[in-house]
Amino acid sequence: MFNFFSPTNIFLILSRIQKFINSIFFPILIVSLVFALILSPPDRIQGDAMRIMYVHVPSAWLGLACFSAITVLSILAFIFKIKNFFYINKSLAPIGLLFTFLAIVTGSLWGEPTWGTWWVWDARLTSMMFLMFFYISYILCFKFIKKEQLMLKVSSLIAILGAINLPIIKYSVDWWTTLHQPASIKLGVSNSIHSTMMLPLLSMLLVLVLYGALIFLMKYKTEIIRIKKKSIKRL
Amino acid sequence: MMSNFIFMNGYGIFVWSSFGLVLISGFILFLKTRKTLKKYEKEFLLELQTLPEAKKKHVLENSKIANKILVENSKTN
Repeated sequence: MFNFFSPTNIFLILSRIQKFINSIFFPILIVSLVFALILSPPDRIQGDAMRIMYVHVPSAWLGLACFSAITVLSILAFIFKIKNFFYINKSLAPIGLLFTFLAIVTGSLWGEPTWGTWWVWDARLTSMMFLMFFYISYILCFKFIKKEQLMLKVSSLIAILGAINLPIIKYSVDWWTTLHQPASIKLGVSNSIHSTMMLPLLSMLLVLVLYGALIFLMKYKTEIIRIKKKSIKRL
Repeated sequence: MMSNFIFMNGYGIFVWSSFGLVLISGFILFLKTRKTLKKYEKEFLLELQTLPEAKKKHVLENSKIANKILVENSKTN
């Protein structure tokens, strides 16, 4: 089973997926932008400022999803000794960092017209900022720790420590009184968001997922080539 | 109609800044990632070129990745 996770197999599969994403990305991006900026109605209370939700919410979701994946893969890599998972994590981290950064900045741009402030130290915003710091330290550990075994241990530790922050981000709006609104979309529960807004939100989510996948594929291919380059003389 | 779309009842600056930031930062990361990938592909091929002919043939026969990189680069060049 683990042979499936060999760099050669993954490299060849990724090349095919990358081509497919390249061919569908721009049409989906254009359609999603038309939905988000033109066809979707303004909110009754927030007016057009609500359109920021179409980039803010998917960015936040993906920032959290990337770190969740990094944590799970770090644990699996430790149990099953699959080094490849660390290369996957190394490729995922910059994407997660970008999405978390975008969620914070677009949230700030949304906060000014709706709350009257760019930033407050409430639980949701602060925990998201902590997530960004976890991403930065995770990336820096790959960059600056040269001894591989130590690097793998430190990166796993950061991933596991960062995972404690994930439920805090998710439930911060329920556990504490925050300026940030509670979740409008919950799995398995009827949503408080209308379908005319839900459709652009989901299509923008698809765009960002495809974008993230594209960057991940390129970064992961880079990692595989780097490893293969080291071992080329031994082939 | 057009000015409504641009100014969005006074919220245009916030909405366009958000979408613009996402698109620009996404594009920058894409360019940076692609540049690094191309750099490593070139370095890999250079390394391959330095090998003796027999060894090079052996690598190309045994490494699907080396083949793939060689094919992709010959298409783009």
